[in-house]
Amino acid sequence: MNNVLLPVLLIILAPFIGGLVYGFERIVKARMQRRVGPPLLQPFYDFLKLADKRRMMVHSAHAFLGIMHFVSLWFALAVLLLGGDLILVVFLHLLSSSLMILAGYSTRSIFSHLGANRTAMTLLAYEPVLILIAVSMYLVTGSFDASSVYKMSEPLLYKMPLAFVALLLILPIKLKKSPFDIAEAHQEITGGAEIEFSGIFYEAVYTSKWLDYVFCYTLVFLFAGSNILLGAALVVFTFFYLNALDNSSARVNYRQMLRFSLTVAFSLAFINLLINSLT
Amino acid sequence: MNLASFRKKSPWILHYNAGGCNGCDIEILACLGPKYDIERFGMINTGNPKQSDILLVTGPVTKRSRERLVEIYAQMPEPKVVISCGACASTGGVFRGMYNCEGGVDQFIPVDVYVCGCGTRPEQIIDGVVQALAILETKTKEIEKSVKLNKEVVKEGTQINRRNIADEIKPLVT
Repeated sequence: MNNVLLPVLLIILAPFIGGLVYGFERIVKARMQRRVGPPLLQPFYDFLKLADKRRMMVHSAHAFLGIMHFVSLWFALAVLLLGGDLILVVFLHLLSSSLMILAGYSTRSIFSHLGANRTAMTLLAYEPVLILIAVSMYLVTGSFDASSVYKMSEPLLYKMPLAFVALLLILPIKLKKSPFDIAEAHQEITGGAEIEFSGIFYEAVYTSKWLDYVFCYTLVFLFAGSNILLGAALVVFTFFYLNALDNSSARVNYRQMLRFSLTVAFSLAFINLLINSLT
Repeated sequence: MNLASFRKKSPWILHYNAGGCNGCDIEILACLGPKYDIERFGMINTGNPKQSDILLVTGPVTKRSRERLVEIYAQMPEPKVVISCGACASTGGVFRGMYNCEGGVDQFIPVDVYVCGCGTRPEQIIDGVVQALAILETKTKEIEKSVKLNKEVVKEGTQINRRNIADEIKPLVT
């Protein structure tokens, strides 16, 4: 990632890459359940179909918040890929999630409110851990910039393995995977905060899920530094870990999720921070 | 690029039980399983009317559920199709004429495909959905207009009164 061309290309292509990742994930998930699964380009078929549906909106602010959720998430991803400040990236991601929460609260649907409540709970669960990981990276590299991480010759993974474990523990919360998919919970609250979106406005929310994949896998990639092979291996490992976990576990409730992430993942990240600050 | 051709590639299904015995619902869920796996065709059971294309209704419409049925139908954005799954949803089945039931789904919302059987077999459901997809592709933006405004007014005495099912059936005036 030395020149600026590759990050810019990645940023422009991010929704396509995320869509392919999502399509591949659906196939992998189906194969794990001994099904055939949809075609690889299925997310794009969904995208094109949703573009043709009748435009129904609850109110204009609701639709606007959904679109801004997508835009701000793309912006956060752009800052991360261009090597910007990691704390800024974390807070931009927080901003995009809070726009979704606001959209959830702005309708009168009770499911939407429940989903917004739960999204706020998930924010509470993973944001502290992400910030601790960012601070750990600062202690190792001496800078909050992601570009300094990309330049590291020695992978961060060897210096802060506990932070990587903590990241693995919060990624299911962030990507809304089972057992921590309480914010989406399709069988329970049918999608949570995104329930009232339809047609072309749902498209923004649907596409931001793809962007979320690229965002999370880039965070995983950060741990490899400049070692691209190791980064690819980490991303592939995380992909199969997430899908295996998603297929093999049942949903927990939000108390259990909070307790788990704030005791196990948070303490792991904190111990890692202490070790990094002492060495 | 013809966007309408993508409708049949990603039909999202909304499943509503209007008061049946759960027999057909189990068969619909069997379609999602490894043996039949309708996700091959890109179908998802969304459970959210605002994001779905196909409404799968099972069971006779009870007096309690008819308002919900019409409301769910109204919340779905066009283009949309309705499939009535099973004998009860199509005609009322064994519940026809009972004090708590209204009869078939088509008395309240327009139905595009009727799937027979009690309960329907998963193969039949898949076949019905494939037929519905062919209809879905032909739907145009015209369908967004009100159905009732285009209909002719029903004249007195030309239809069977569905409430008095024990009445003698009079021949329809054609």
